[in-house]
This record gives sequence, C-alpha cells and structure tokens, in this order.
Amino acid sequence: MSTSLSADQLLHAYQVMRTIRVFEERLHVEFATGEIPGFVHLYAGEEASAAGVMAHLGDADFIASTHRGHGHCIAKGVDVYGMMAEIYGKKTGVCQGKGGSMHIADMEKGMLGANGIVGAGAPLAVGAALAAKLKGTDGVGVAFFGDGGSNEGAVFEAMNMASVWNLPCIFVAENNGYAEATASNWSVACDHIADRAAGFGMPGVTVDGFDFFAVHEAAGAAIERARAGEGPSLIEVKLTRYYGHFEGDAQTYRAADEVKNFRERSDCLMQFRERSTRAGLVQASQLDQIDGEVDLLIENAVRKAKSDPKPSAADLLTDVYVAYP
Amino acid sequence: MPRQPLTVGIIANPASGRDLRRLTANAGLFSSTDKVSVIQRLLAAFGATGVERVIMPTDMTGIAAAVLKNSHGRQARQGHWPHVEFLDLALRQTVEDTRQAARWMAQREVTLIAVLGGDGTHKAVASEVGDIPLLTLSTGTNNAFPELREATSAGLAGGLYASGRLPAEVALRRNKRLVVRDAARGLEAIALVDVAVSSLPFIGARAISRGSDLAEVFVTFAEPQSIGLSALCGLWLPVSRQSPQGAWMRLDPHAPQALLTPLAPGLLQGCGVLDAQLLQPGIAHSPWLPSGTLALDGEREIEFNAHDRPTVTLDACGPLSIDVPAALAHAAQQRLLAIGREHPLHPLMPQDTLGE
Repeated sequence: MSTSLSADQLLHAYQVMRTIRVFEERLHVEFATGEIPGFVHLYAGEEASAAGVMAHLGDADFIASTHRGHGHCIAKGVDVYGMMAEIYGKKTGVCQGKGGSMHIADMEKGMLGANGIVGAGAPLAVGAALAAKLKGTDGVGVAFFGDGGSNEGAVFEAMNMASVWNLPCIFVAENNGYAEATASNWSVACDHIADRAAGFGMPGVTVDGFDFFAVHEAAGAAIERARAGEGPSLIEVKLTRYYGHFEGDAQTYRAADEVKNFRERSDCLMQFRERSTRAGLVQASQLDQIDGEVDLLIENAVRKAKSDPKPSAADLLTDVYVAYP
Repeated sequence: MPRQPLTVGIIANPASGRDLRRLTANAGLFSSTDKVSVIQRLLAAFGATGVERVIMPTDMTGIAAAVLKNSHGRQARQGHWPHVEFLDLALRQTVEDTRQAARWMAQREVTLIAVLGGDGTHKAVASEVGDIPLLTLSTGTNNAFPELREATSAGLAGGLYASGRLPAEVALRRNKRLVVRDAARGLEAIALVDVAVSSLPFIGARAISRGSDLAEVFVTFAEPQSIGLSALCGLWLPVSRQSPQGAWMRLDPHAPQALLTPLAPGLLQGCGVLDAQLLQPGIAHSPWLPSGTLALDGEREIEFNAHDRPTVTLDACGPLSIDVPAALAHAAQQRLLAIGREHPLHPLMPQDTLGE
C-alpha cells in the first residue's frame, strides 16, 4: 500500500489542492459578473478528495466525473488555462468552447468528462475498466459521483457489472451532505453510502474527506487492489462544499454558520499545511511559493480566457459524429 | 419527591465498522440495521429486568429513528421495553457526538451505559463518565476491550445490576488504562487496550495494517486469542485483564526473532520482536522513535515530531465494566431470573397478541 509520500509528492498534492481552490474561488467571483455562460458547480472545500485519489493515477488511468468536475479535471492534469477558456465558452478551450463547465474532457489525460447527468459517469468508468482489463494494461477506471448520484440506478448497475466482471474499477462517492438541496441523511436509505458496497460483493470504506492523507491512503489501497486483479471497491469520502449546489444557490437549506465552521475547523488546505510542516517534511516557505505561483497561473488563465475568441458559426459543424458537406 | 425511574444509557457509534480495514484486510461490516437490532435486544432484556427508562443519543444514520419507530410497535409492547428518550445533541458526526452523549448521560446519573462500538468508542465513553459502569458490546473492527457477546444475555446482566439485584463486587470489574501525556501540548488522552508507536508520519486513514509500520506497542492486557495490536503481546507475553501489570514490546523488521500476528481480521503479519517486558503501573515511558504517530486503541490519533515529548503510563484507573459471565453465574446461583406470577412475562399472564 502506498502510504509513504516524498517531499515532491507532498508539494505536488498541495499544488493541486491550491490550484483547485483558487480556480474555484476566482470563478465564484467571475460568475457573478454574468460573463460566464451556463452553470458552474464549484468544488471548493472538496479538494482533498480529488488530490488524494488522483495522486495514484497516471494518464493511462481513466476517470469519469460529475457536474462538479473542475477539481477532478485539475487533479487529473487537464490544462488549467484550457479549462478556464472552456468555461468562458472560448475557442481555445479544451473542448473548443462547445462544452462548458459540465463537459470538460481530455482523453489524453484520461479524463472522460465532467457530466451533466447525475450518476452517469459510473458506467463510463466501468467501460474504461473493462477496456483496461481486455487490453491487459494495469489501468483502472475511477467513477466519481455524489450522495445524490449514489441513489441512481445507473450507479447500482455499474457497481454490479464491475463486480460481476471483477473489473479494476473504483467508485468514489463524494458525500457532501446534499443532493442539490436535499440532505443525504434523509435521502440515502442505508445512511452510509459505503454500506451499499456489500450488496454488490465489494468492500466499502468511509474516509474523512477533509484529510488528504486519509483519502490518499484509502484510495491507494483500493487502486492497488484493482491493479492486482482483486476487483472493484467503493470509497465514501465525507466532505462539504463551500459554495451552493450551483453559483446563485441561496442555500436556505443549510445552517447559517455551517460552512464557516467547516472552513475554520476542518479545511483540507489548512490541515495539510499544518501537518506536513509540523512533521518537518516540507517547509512553509515552499508552500508559500506554490501559493504565489498558483495565483499567477489563475490570473493569467482568466485574463487570456476573457480575451480569447468565441467559436464561429462554422465551428458548429466540426467535432461531430456526422460529416456535413 | 417522586422516585426517579430506573434509567440506563445506550450509546451506539454510528460510524464504527467502516474503516480502511475493509480494503487492507477482510474486516466485516456492521451496518446501522445491525446496530438497531442489537439495541433492541438490549431493550428487551432491560425491560424484562426492570429498567424503566433508556436514554439514547440521536444520530444522522437512522439508528435512533429506527429505534424510535420500533419502540411504538407490537414487539416493544409485548416485550415491555423501557420508555426510550432521546438526547437532542447538536450532531457533528465525529467522536465528539459520542463524548457529548456520554457527558449528558453522566449528568443525568444513569445507572450504567451500554456501549456499542469498538475499542475506540469504548475509550471515548470511558473518558467522560467516571465510575458509571459500561456494558460493553463489540460492533467495531478489531475489538479487545468489548468481548464478543450476545446482546440479550449481556442486557440481562446489565439490567440485573441496574435494578440492584447484583452486588457491585460480583458484577463490576475495574479496568486498566494507558494514559498518553504531553504537557507542553496540553495533551492527555487514554487508551483502554493498546498504544502503538508508528513511524507513519500522519494519522491518515487511522488503522495500521503493516507490521513494518510498528515500532512499539504498550498494552493494558493482552489475551492470546485477541486480534489487533494487542495480539502482538497476547502471543508473546500475555497479560490478563486482572493482572496489575501491562506489557510492552519493541518491534523492528530486522530483529532476530519474528512473530506471526493477526493485526486485523484476515490479516496476518510477521513482526520483528526486539524486546518484550511486563509494564509496571505508574511509570512514564517515552517512545523510542523521535517522530511518528501514536495509535490509541488501534487508530492513529496523535502525530508527534522531534520537539514533542509524549509519554505513555499504565494505571489502574480505567472504567468499571459489567463482568457478564460473573454476573450471570451469580444470577443463576441465586435464581435471580425466577419470576413471580405478577411479572408481565410470566407464562400465565395474558399476552398481547398479533392484530390487537
């Protein structure tokens, strides 16, 4: 099991989490100006999950994401500027500006796509896991979904098939407590999403999603199992989102100080900084340097994305399955 | 002043039985449904032995909700369950919920507290309740402190004690504990079974699944049939629950001798044994490692670095617990479960039947 982390790995994990945080907090500000088309669902607060899982994956491993997909994309290595341009609907975006926030995909990075349909990523990850098994690579498929997605039939079917075919697939249930505005402790009948694994003949565990090290360790064990041919696993990552379901959500279903309490007590970046420096494995100055680099990266991405061209009318007929004359 | 109803507490850890060891070992699942069923077995036994009121915390996982629903049903009526009252906690979904419930129960002066969980859950309750006895039930992963036991018979022992029919010197057992202190950090924590020193730098997913991650283990008691970290001493230098001493082992993969140990369900690890000794009470020991983590009752909880000075001390000031075999042996000898014609479960009493 990959529990030891080098200084370089720790710095990379921090850089990933910090990039996600700054990316999302900047989008929170920019979306309010009305310049960004469509919807955005921000991943801020959940960074340890994406970083902890993706630390074990390479470009040959595939993930399927959700409507809240920016964090997964960044952690999987999708270009940050290309993502920002995509969210702004610009031709320079990773999907040429035609997909937007909920369809960011990058096959070269093993990112099968964010997904506007709740729970629809799980069957895609099973397909990727089947491909890896048939091709004999040691790749894995990872499905991210939320507590709402965990109630979807497509997720159950995907878990069943992954188990029946003993596929190298990992199901990561990011339980942030709410499916849109519906509390998961009301809507998830068995209450612990991890318990559902037993019904599909696979192990299920629950981990603290505010703690990068906890997610990293559990994901490492599940991915190692999958690569060794021992089949799928389910990891329930318990965390919170710092913003609404979508930008503009008034969040009347949450206690007034709920997010404030999580930010002050449990924030994943705060915990990571305190603990990795206390252990003497990285220096605070190294983390400060990353903070500065990330700020610059996001600033440049936004500035370029804003000034980039939009797709033209002719672009409507490209990148589609049917060839038009 | 009216007599207070005879009251006991029940605390079930909603989170127990779901950690990393489902991936790294073959640990089983203890679902919320299973925990509800254990609680209801306790309610039946408590009701039958004269307990009038049970206090339980609420939770976010449906345990309290299911017990509330079932406490109004036919089974509860026929079984003469005690009245069930719920503590209105502001839930954080952390171990703090267990601690808060335990504190409130202590303030309400419950006669005993039944605990459903693993070693960690029992430790959290024990830290808060002083000398209120615990009725221990295992629903965790690696349990040494709570013995595996059927809840109905454990509930009978608890109910007989709570209703004053068993003398304390027969029914209660005083347990040992390990106290971890680091004065400079204002840290004081207890363990009921074991404190392990690990070279792993972070708490991470808490469980320890590799023998090579262990540098030392301190135990209050270690039984040869146990599982988990205390099994190391249990299979090398066993110490009983009753002995005033504990045990200590220093481990290193390169040690000349190695021991095969069941560290978790289905997980056997070879551990190099450098040294093993009995642990005397009252002596503070510092870890050999300059930095790493301390695992208390099987879960990494405290990270320490070269500037910290944590110590581990054995003492005899652990919680009281119900000695179920001794209690029921006494009950049999004294025919304490013989019931009179007035008892609601007497065979000649009219019974509530289906459909009524």
